[in-house]
Amino acid sequence: MKKYWFIFQTQLINSLAYPGELIGRALTILPFMWIFYQLWSVTFASTGQTEMNGLTLKMTMWYFVVTEVIEISRPRVGNTISETVRDGSIAYLLSKPYNFMLYHYATAMGGTIFHALFNILFGGGLIWWLVGAPPSLMGVAMVLPALLGAWALHFCIAALIGLLAFIVEDISAFLWIFQKAAFVFGGLLIPLDFYPGWMRTIANFLPFASLSYAPARLFISPSPQAFFAVIGQQILWLGILGLALTFFYHRAVRFLTINGG
Amino acid sequence: MSAITVSHLQKIFQSKRKAAGLGASARSLFQSEYTTVEAVRDLSFEMQPGELLGFIGPNGAGKSTTIKMLTGILHPTSGDASVLGFTPWKERQKLAFQIGTVFGQRPQLWYHLPAVDTFTLFGKIYERDDAFTQKRIAFLSEAFEIGDLLETPVRKLSLGQRMRCEVAASLLHQPKLLLLDEPSIGLDVVAKQHIRDAIRTMSQEEGVGVLLTSHDAGDLEALCHRVIIINHGQIVYQDKVSNLKRKFLTRKTVEVRYAEEVNVNFNLEGMETLKTGRYGVKLSFDTRTTPADAVLMRLSAAGTLVDITISDPPLEEVIANIYGRQLSVDSGL
Repeated sequence: MKKYWFIFQTQLINSLAYPGELIGRALTILPFMWIFYQLWSVTFASTGQTEMNGLTLKMTMWYFVVTEVIEISRPRVGNTISETVRDGSIAYLLSKPYNFMLYHYATAMGGTIFHALFNILFGGGLIWWLVGAPPSLMGVAMVLPALLGAWALHFCIAALIGLLAFIVEDISAFLWIFQKAAFVFGGLLIPLDFYPGWMRTIANFLPFASLSYAPARLFISPSPQAFFAVIGQQILWLGILGLALTFFYHRAVRFLTINGG
Repeated sequence: MSAITVSHLQKIFQSKRKAAGLGASARSLFQSEYTTVEAVRDLSFEMQPGELLGFIGPNGAGKSTTIKMLTGILHPTSGDASVLGFTPWKERQKLAFQIGTVFGQRPQLWYHLPAVDTFTLFGKIYERDDAFTQKRIAFLSEAFEIGDLLETPVRKLSLGQRMRCEVAASLLHQPKLLLLDEPSIGLDVVAKQHIRDAIRTMSQEEGVGVLLTSHDAGDLEALCHRVIIINHGQIVYQDKVSNLKRKFLTRKTVEVRYAEEVNVNFNLEGMETLKTGRYGVKLSFDTRTTPADAVLMRLSAAGTLVDITISDPPLEEVIANIYGRQLSVDSGL
């Protein structure tokens, strides 16, 4: 595993090649958080209540900090794999003595960490200023492994879609469908607590809730039971998707044709 | 044991086909048409350890597809291959420790980082200890004259400098076999020479075998012991480079430019004038009948030379020539 740790470190250094771009990209979280704050302030004010479905305005806003940090910083590995197939550079990746998927995981996480740090800094800073400090310190400690789990799940799903590039080359439509499904069933725009019961049940049977809703909900209402439930569910989905990824990778590599010969 | 043994290797692709226009695009949504492309057809050859083998042919001949099957990246449709005792597509990772690869048109160095970072990373990937990697970087820096380039971000290097770093990176783990896919593509004459010199030095000093694909006949003249010419996925010729040169690379083209206007009759014996201008001339000659030094002496006597280029016939011409001779033999002419 030492080589994957070093690949991760190299990608971390690579992420710092353009610090201006890194900061500029992270600034995009500010308008998102501002819009969410305006929408939910009006919603809470119009009901005349300080709490809806167990959430206060402060909890709701910190919920969105976590979901947006996960979404904006997540590894874009589907596009990366597709690009290497299209431009032929996959030839190098496959001719080196490492596991292709673990290599991509190491580079994806190396690219995610700094983006996430800046997003937390800007997004969290704005919401702290608008609604106050995060609900609890326990939540901060518990959300960290859940964030890693969420990005690992994102990686598995995006890599599965990326593998389709070995067969169909252009995977943008599949990525679009995944993103929209994650928006709806991952609670990216509205926390699942506000969904009708039947829709919440469907969401809980899909991996999308473990991608963003569950870590964000753990952050604002932490408890040991909730922690083990979230991490347990993430491990379950990682097992299923990890197996699927291994199986499809070995199938897909046989279909590979490389552009330019 | 041979370094490479290839037996009846074949690779067939299905390539999607679509006629021009909106109607054809709409139809292709419901009914796709495919063309079968035989990229490699019944290919068989051997390469000995430490040999420098040129694998050349025009664009689309099947060279790169073959090299990608030999590295295990592509699975063949049929046939067998053994590279250093491994079946590439079944034992790709084990084989990867023993070979180095360069795909000339694609970078393996991390674009935003100095080359030395990629070198260090490769040391870890190939599971070499730090002392070995550092010693090897020092050795390769000297062999490829890249010492002062290693700490510059790769994006700021010229193509020639980058290619020297690319080839050096592929040798970091001290492979037994180097597979080079068009390493000189897009390089100027000086950069090509640099790369060729460094590859030749490494082959002589470390006994590393080199399988080199190129569509530049100059690469094989400068580097290889033996050559295989491939076209339309099939071997059309294989022999020692010295024999190929004697038989097919005898005609050279020389182009000169003078400092001042010249008015000389260049219709010299053994030379054919291809183009004349006020300040220069382009000639072709046969080295079997007209020695190159005699040509150069005649040309330099005509005025002060400011530029001179001597080139081989294009590979397409060589292949056409080989085909022509084969047809003559086949038809008994």
